[in-house]
Amino acid sequence: MIMNLQFFSHHKGGGSTANGRNSAGRRLGTKAADGSMVTAGAIIYRQRGTHINPGENVCRGGDDTLYAKVAGVVKFERMGRSKRKVSVYPVAE
Amino acid sequence: MIRAHFTLDSNRRITTFLITGHADAGPYGQDIVCAAVSALAISTVNGLEKLVKVAPQVESDNQNGGLLRVSQLGADHDSQLLLNTLLNGLLDIQESYPDNIKVKMLN
Repeated sequence: MIMNLQFFSHHKGGGSTANGRNSAGRRLGTKAADGSMVTAGAIIYRQRGTHINPGENVCRGGDDTLYAKVAGVVKFERMGRSKRKVSVYPVAE
Repeated sequence: MIRAHFTLDSNRRITTFLITGHADAGPYGQDIVCAAVSALAISTVNGLEKLVKVAPQVESDNQNGGLLRVSQLGADHDSQLLLNTLLNGLLDIQESYPDNIKVKMLN
């Protein structure tokens, strides 16, 4: 027999795992803070699902991103008991 | 955990030994208990063949390791001396590393 001193040891490497993959962070979250001025079309909030709902002058894109429809001031508000929404209020010239 | 089973005949002579499992006493290449058991077991097999000139039946899993079964062992003095040296050595290892090897003698 060949003198294999690791004959009664676990196989080399100890086997592999099916894990070990990860994707880059999606940088979700607030892009325009409460009280800040935004232009029409500006992104306010990136999200998956409606963590924040669209309010006045705000629309929801295909990936649930919230956009400003008009230029104005961003306002994060409560909606009902537990939900939140974001609105944009035009500033009088 | 390595398990070593020695089968003895009515005259307490070793007729078969079976060593299975993995020591789990360290990563591959640094497992000292595995190295000790491997050295004792393999040198016993080689000693029987080269020194005592007997040809026991040897079954081993060289691909994955962890399985060595040697049977048709001679009842002569020299063979039994080598086999009892192996048994004695494994018993000593068991005393120092009880979590990594278990030795049993079966009648």
